[in-house]
Amino acid sequence: MTSPDSINLEHLNHDRFKSWSFSQNICTTCGICSSSCPVSGVEGFDPRKLVRMVRLGFQEQLVETRWPWICTMCGKCAYVCPMKIDIANIVRGIRSLRDRDQVPGILHKGIDAALKTGNNLALPKEDYLFILEDVAEEIAAEPGFEGFKAPVDKEGANILTTIHNKLVNTHTEDLKHWWKIFHVAKEDWTLVSENWEGTNWGYFTGDDTAMKTFIGRIVEHMEQLNISSLMCPE
Amino acid sequence: MFDLLTDYIRSGRIRLDKTKITYRAAYHDPCNYGRKSQELFGHGYYEEPRWILDQCISDWVDLFPKEGHQYCCGGGGGTLLTPYRDERIHYARRKMEQIKRTGAEMLVVPCHSCHAQIKAVAETYGMPDLRVKYLWEVVADIMIID
Repeated sequence: MTSPDSINLEHLNHDRFKSWSFSQNICTTCGICSSSCPVSGVEGFDPRKLVRMVRLGFQEQLVETRWPWICTMCGKCAYVCPMKIDIANIVRGIRSLRDRDQVPGILHKGIDAALKTGNNLALPKEDYLFILEDVAEEIAAEPGFEGFKAPVDKEGANILTTIHNKLVNTHTEDLKHWWKIFHVAKEDWTLVSENWEGTNWGYFTGDDTAMKTFIGRIVEHMEQLNISSLMCPE
Repeated sequence: MFDLLTDYIRSGRIRLDKTKITYRAAYHDPCNYGRKSQELFGHGYYEEPRWILDQCISDWVDLFPKEGHQYCCGGGGGTLLTPYRDERIHYARRKMEQIKRTGAEMLVVPCHSCHAQIKAVAETYGMPDLRVKYLWEVVADIMIID
């Protein structure tokens, strides 16, 4: 982050974020947010300053800095704010203004993959189904779970459940906990064979369009399979 | 998720053996089930996971501060998927102090991000043996299988 001395006052534009409804203009600069934030001080990050910069319209600096990406949008700042300023959503709003190819890490790559293939890993359907069957067979080999199967695309099931991509990647063991609970509870549940991704990285990057697409896919599954309950612990 | 587990336990559809976990556990409130849920849906899930833990573990304790004032694990909001690893480790220092103070051998979390972050930083903070489990994993581990 550039030091305050180098901020060009020509960037000052009070109207720039006028349309944002996060109460940023009523900040009293008390600094309680900064005191509550575990990442205050890292690279000079300070939620109070960030809110002030939004108030003053310093868009360029806000979009360029790493600040909105080291903040986890945990909302503790907003929770303690006496003016109820929605600081976490301000941060998400700033994230949304970055060019998508400048979004750090694998976040936007995952979104791109999910838009094209239905999951963040671009995992082909046959590989995905193979992993599900493989894990189901391992469960079936345990006492009390004989004949266990993981249902897929079951119409009229009571519960539809999505999958966190890491569970069909590096953490397949962690698929078993919920599946075992469903089995013992004699639940009527199902997975889906396509568009099964449970995480929504559009939420993280401020990409509302992608976020809505991913949520829309889940709603579509529920309508098509005639299922009224969703279990999505992602 | 909490409601479903609560329903299974209350109705007797699953039965739990509370004697199986003999060591101390601590519970961490994820931001999305606490503060965010409160803000978006008018209900923070604070009581439900604690009731579930009461059914699972004799010796579980809260971190301090807790619930709405809980510290973030440092891995939320997609930050686990960014290259800013040093920042994430630094972020977690208060969380790890909270855990250390309880003397717990296991941290229970109901969130994939919190789970990955705490596991990733535990060794850095001198807790390589800390067990990190999902709430539903604890339930599955102690379910009575007929």
